[in-house]
Amino acid sequence: MRAADGTIHEMALKSSEAVVLRTYPLREADLLVTLFTRAEGKVRGVAKSAKRSRKRFGGALEPLTCVRAYWQDRAGNELARLDSCDVLLSPLASAMDYARAVALAHVAEMLDELLPDREPNDSVFRLAWGVLQALDFPAAAGTGAPEKSSEIWIPVTYFDLWTMRLLGYLPSLEECIECGEPLAGKPAYFHALRDGLVCATHRRIASSEMTVESRALAAEMFRNPVNHFSPERLPTSRLADLRKFLMQIIHRHLDRTLQTSAQLEKLD
Amino acid sequence: MSKFAEPMARLIDELKKLPGVGSKSAQRYAFHILRASDEDAALLADAIREIKQALRLCSVCNNITDVDPCVYCSSPTRNQRVVCVVEEPTNIAALEKGHNYSGGYHVLHGTLSPIHGIGPEHLRIANLVARVEQHAVDEVILATNPTVEGEATAVYLARLLKSSGVRLTRIATGIPAGSDIEYADEVTLQRAMEGRREM
Ligand SMILES: [Zn+2]
Ligand SMILES: [Zn+2]
Repeated sequence: MRAADGTIHEMALKSSEAVVLRTYPLREADLLVTLFTRAEGKVRGVAKSAKRSRKRFGGALEPLTCVRAYWQDRAGNELARLDSCDVLLSPLASAMDYARAVALAHVAEMLDELLPDREPNDSVFRLAWGVLQALDFPAAAGTGAPEKSSEIWIPVTYFDLWTMRLLGYLPSLEECIECGEPLAGKPAYFHALRDGLVCATHRRIASSEMTVESRALAAEMFRNPVNHFSPERLPTSRLADLRKFLMQIIHRHLDRTLQTSAQLEKLD
Repeated sequence: MSKFAEPMARLIDELKKLPGVGSKSAQRYAFHILRASDEDAALLADAIREIKQALRLCSVCNNITDVDPCVYCSSPTRNQRVVCVVEEPTNIAALEKGHNYSGGYHVLHGTLSPIHGIGPEHLRIANLVARVEQHAVDEVILATNPTVEGEATAVYLARLLKSSGVRLTRIATGIPAGSDIEYADEVTLQRAMEGRREM
């Protein structure tokens, strides 16, 4: 930037913890990178020569890597110049399989679609950071693969539930939105076209049921960190009803479906 | 109203669909073609037509080829009982540069990519599974990229093929030859350590 006295001021180098959400090839050798930074929320930037030469960024720009990012804003340009990234936690450092890749992609898609640019959100950041640690599985001895299919369901559902709550999209799960009757211990239903749960009296045609079990686990998720839940706690429904309820809220909000929510429910 | 005559506008529109070609470049190419001799323009048009008519996927390995099976699959000097699985046809050229691999290939034409909606049902793996099940293969080398999607794909294929008893191997990742440990990133270093071998 050129000041009035003719001297050139470099824009300050900024730094923050960040999660790499997505990368797109840009021109011949560059990458366009979307970061979710703790300090400034979602930041888009250009990583020069990152596509051609892996020297400077290495594996640091692989989606869902937790990094310390250094970038410079550019006057009159919404795209920052990404200077470097130090890896704090790489998804490639532990066992990878398809289920885990879907779970990670889901976290990235949720954050990329639901968060506005350049608006810090420390609670969502800490949530994402915690859930990414919970999705870090040790590899079985001697291979790069997890022992069995990844235990993704609790971290993924925890992330969806809390994201909806932190962004203010989540209605109360305790009472019927029509009559206010408490739903504890009773059947509860939800419908694609309206927010919230209803009692048996107010259920419409084509409603889905959310089990007492799923609602109890959701209530527990609001009181505890993600690492409080062992995989044995997962009900046989794998919380599909709760996720369907949450995804319906997102779909109404974005007016379209997430690519990864269909992929998740197709996993066996 | 377009500022170009209709055939010109059409050519520009088509050229703009090429990767890395914007409006400016497309106009430049279109005017170049207009000024070129009839013969040169016809050669270009023929080459484009031919690539779609003459090229297809090898029925054995999915490589892009003008003869089926492709040169790698029909070569008597290559060990067809070893199959190297790659993401894209261009990866074959890269591996051939190494001059030390003389087995066969299998091209997936992509990887599992949840963010793009690409699941196992979209991968070209049926003919790989068939080759393994017919006991035509002793070893499958999984040479997808060491990225999240490449790893997920390799692990998926390994689980799928495990029960057949075929030998499954994954290409090594680590410090590039001729480089300096100082410049390697944390992930690469970790993998290099994991992949160390006896001397
Ligand atoms: Zn009611
Ligand atoms: Zn072939």
